[in-house]
Amino acid sequence: MANVVTVNKVRKVYGKANEKQTTALKDVSFNVQAGEFIGIMGASGSGKSTLLNILSTLDKPTAGDVKINNQDVTGLKGNKLSDFRSREVGFIFQDFNLLENLTSRENIALPLSLQGVSAKKIAPQVESIAEKLSITEILDQYPTEISGGQKQRVAAARALVTQPAILFADEPTGALDSHSARELLDTMTTLNKNDGVSILLVTHDPFSASYCQRILFIKDGVIGQELKRKDQDRTTFYHQILDELGTFED
Amino acid sequence: MLWKLALGGIKSRLKDYIVLFSGLTISAAIFYMFQSLASNPEFLKANSTLGMIVFIFYFGSVLLGIITLVYILYANSFLLTMRQRTYAMFMMLGAKSSKIAQLIFIETVAVGVISTVVGSAVGVGLTSIISQVLVKQMDIAITHFSPWSTSAALVTAVFFLVLFAFAAIYNAGKLVKTPVLNLLNQAKTPTRFKRNPVLWGIEVAGGLILLAVGYWSMAQLNTLQLFGLGIALVTIVLGSYFVFDAFFLMIIQLLRRNERFRTKELHSFTLGQLSFRIRDFTRLLSMVSIVFALALGAITVGLGFHDTIQTMAEQISPYDLMLHDPTTASQKQADALSPISVSTYQYKVAGKNVYFLASDFNRAPFKENQPQQRADGSYGVKKVTYGEAEMLKDPTGHTQTLADLVTQKAPYQTITVVNAADYAKVNGTVHSTQLYITKDFMAIKDKLKPLVAADQKQEGSTNANMSMNQKYSVYALYNTMMSGFEFMGLFLGIAFLAMLASCLMFKILSGAASDALRYQMLEKIGTRRSLLKKSIRQEIGTLFVLPGILGVIHVLFGLQMFKVTSLLPQPYHNIWLPFLIFLVLYVLYYFLTVQLYSGIVLHSGKSEEFQRGE
Ligand SMILES: Nc1ncnc2c1ncn2[C@@H]1O[C@H](COP(=O)(O)OP(=O)(O)O)[C@@H](O)[C@H]1O
Ligand SMILES: [Mg+2]
Repeated sequence: MANVVTVNKVRKVYGKANEKQTTALKDVSFNVQAGEFIGIMGASGSGKSTLLNILSTLDKPTAGDVKINNQDVTGLKGNKLSDFRSREVGFIFQDFNLLENLTSRENIALPLSLQGVSAKKIAPQVESIAEKLSITEILDQYPTEISGGQKQRVAAARALVTQPAILFADEPTGALDSHSARELLDTMTTLNKNDGVSILLVTHDPFSASYCQRILFIKDGVIGQELKRKDQDRTTFYHQILDELGTFED
Repeated sequence: MLWKLALGGIKSRLKDYIVLFSGLTISAAIFYMFQSLASNPEFLKANSTLGMIVFIFYFGSVLLGIITLVYILYANSFLLTMRQRTYAMFMMLGAKSSKIAQLIFIETVAVGVISTVVGSAVGVGLTSIISQVLVKQMDIAITHFSPWSTSAALVTAVFFLVLFAFAAIYNAGKLVKTPVLNLLNQAKTPTRFKRNPVLWGIEVAGGLILLAVGYWSMAQLNTLQLFGLGIALVTIVLGSYFVFDAFFLMIIQLLRRNERFRTKELHSFTLGQLSFRIRDFTRLLSMVSIVFALALGAITVGLGFHDTIQTMAEQISPYDLMLHDPTTASQKQADALSPISVSTYQYKVAGKNVYFLASDFNRAPFKENQPQQRADGSYGVKKVTYGEAEMLKDPTGHTQTLADLVTQKAPYQTITVVNAADYAKVNGTVHSTQLYITKDFMAIKDKLKPLVAADQKQEGSTNANMSMNQKYSVYALYNTMMSGFEFMGLFLGIAFLAMLASCLMFKILSGAASDALRYQMLEKIGTRRSLLKKSIRQEIGTLFVLPGILGVIHVLFGLQMFKVTSLLPQPYHNIWLPFLIFLVLYVLYYFLTVQLYSGIVLHSGKSEEFQRGE
């Protein structure tokens, strides 16, 4: 299978040379295959968000390179970078708010407008992704009028409407109640299985991680163990993750 | 420790503070200048005809005071939004809220004191420049005029400091009372735009109708008189409010409904921002449109009055100079002006009777401008010429007409125009008066001054009526009055414009901090920077253009008042000049606002780090 994401010896150092420096990532390397649902797990401060920001081109690594769909993204700048972001990657974050002065429909349509898609084509694409995420009813409501779970679905719809190579999610369930969290994770699983959407999920929560097919554990900026779900059911995998964490944390 | 943090905060936002300071400094300077011109005792005593100007200046400074008040409120809210995150952070770190309140109070007052002091100093400089211009314009010599006025400085200091003290108390109270979390995430969440379409439609129609009524009543000022002014004031203020609250919003909603338009580039975002903004800005925008109209109107009318000085002087008399019993010296001086016509009239004074020689009117018919009310109610002049035949038809009926020609020293009652034979029979002292018409009065007016002065001295006259028969005296009197108007108009207009544009600017900038998150989000989902900038330009541009356009429309209709009442015969003449001044100032403010706003909402290209909570 082709790799959608290739991470090669990525290092990230915060702080200027003459100041106190933090090395958040230490030569991280791994691949994500097309159609994979991969999880990155680690405690708070382990470097998860730093890694995701670099993968999603929001930040630049100090050294190393990242390829998405075989394109090196670390050198992208200006318009090329913006265009790449709008076409190839989608994100949802814990606090990735929607634009609250736009309706859900307008929020979802925005990335298509940015790509210059015509009005005629935008409508059906928005409808179709909204249906997949079960948010058809709330399309004409404003973010302030819908629940947290619904907001996150709208955010996911906006991320996916452009059919990006990969969906990055940073603690997407962090601000949700357990019921909404479960629903969102189920939806993501369905999207992954039925539509072949590649997903990279970053979390510190074993329950969320148990939805993934493969989990990479990160600690102090270094990727350690890897855990594969294979054919296990989710509950079994969940317990395996907990066990793994027990040994990993020590 | 807190002090250090507070000062550090100022350092990191130095650019914003410079904007705040310079805005406040200029407003203090303008305020001081007004006060000093109006309250300078030497200036007051210099000339009695200046009494009117003093009143105008006081009126201007009251208006300016009101606008300054609004300005300080907005500048203050800008200061508050700029600082509240920092202060909230201190509070999270455990700083006592009383300590924070104290810091905010000190900071606000410090901003006020510094800008008042610097502003007054700048004001002293401006006053000395402006007063020189004013004195030169008005052709009067004022001695002992000092740009420094203790009372003006006191008024300015008290006015600004009191306002700032209130602002400081308000700021401190607000920050301490608002929950810390709200301060940290102070993004104003736009609520759904729910409106009853019928009421909305009524408001749109009502706004437009109100404006129409206001415009109509200004055009009918002649018949409606003061009542019309009242109607216009109320309807235009309300109409402007409704137009912003309903009409412009309706246009934006219609654009939002248009699928093709909305789904292009960032249009949906820009429209979303605008409909949120305009609702938030309704009061400010309608106020801006009205005061802009006043400011622009003041400039237009001020410049218009200057144009009318000549017209009015011309209307008083067709003659540029009148010499009673000219001496050879004064005649020589007058001839040096190369007049296009010289009319000489001789007359004899015999007791209570004055006799003019009819043939003089044959050689040079006497010209007079008679005030006339036209059919439409406006005033103009009728040019009348009296020849010999006309004079002889009613020999004693022209006493009024010819009165100015006769020397003041003659205690006559009747003027009779007689033929040569009768004139020869009259036994009395012989006098003559010479009337000059020059090619261009305005060009030689300064040379007329000594001649007129000599004539008046010879006549021994302090009589007001006496000086009114000399065009130069009329001109000088009008000039004193009109220059005051002109200066006031220009000065008040520009000061208002600057203040209002700053109000708009600070109001927009106050929202920038909470908008920043939205722009960050847009950038994250891959919006090109050029598109973001375009959206900013369009959004701010609309906020500037809408009140600007409405203000210009107000002015265009408002000038009708001056036309129909004949205060200004040609109010639309040379209208491009005030509009150009307006445009230049306005465009400058627009670019400044776009620049500052972009600086706040778009993070610099270098650091690609996004702030995100964990
Ligand atoms: N902008 C930054 N400047 C300096 N250090 C940072 C910055 N962002 C993160 N760090 C540091 O990098 C490390 C990894 O942080 P992060 O990637 O946010 O961890 P996680 O998301 O796993 O909690 C932490 O030690 C954190 O303090
Ligand atoms: Mg994180």
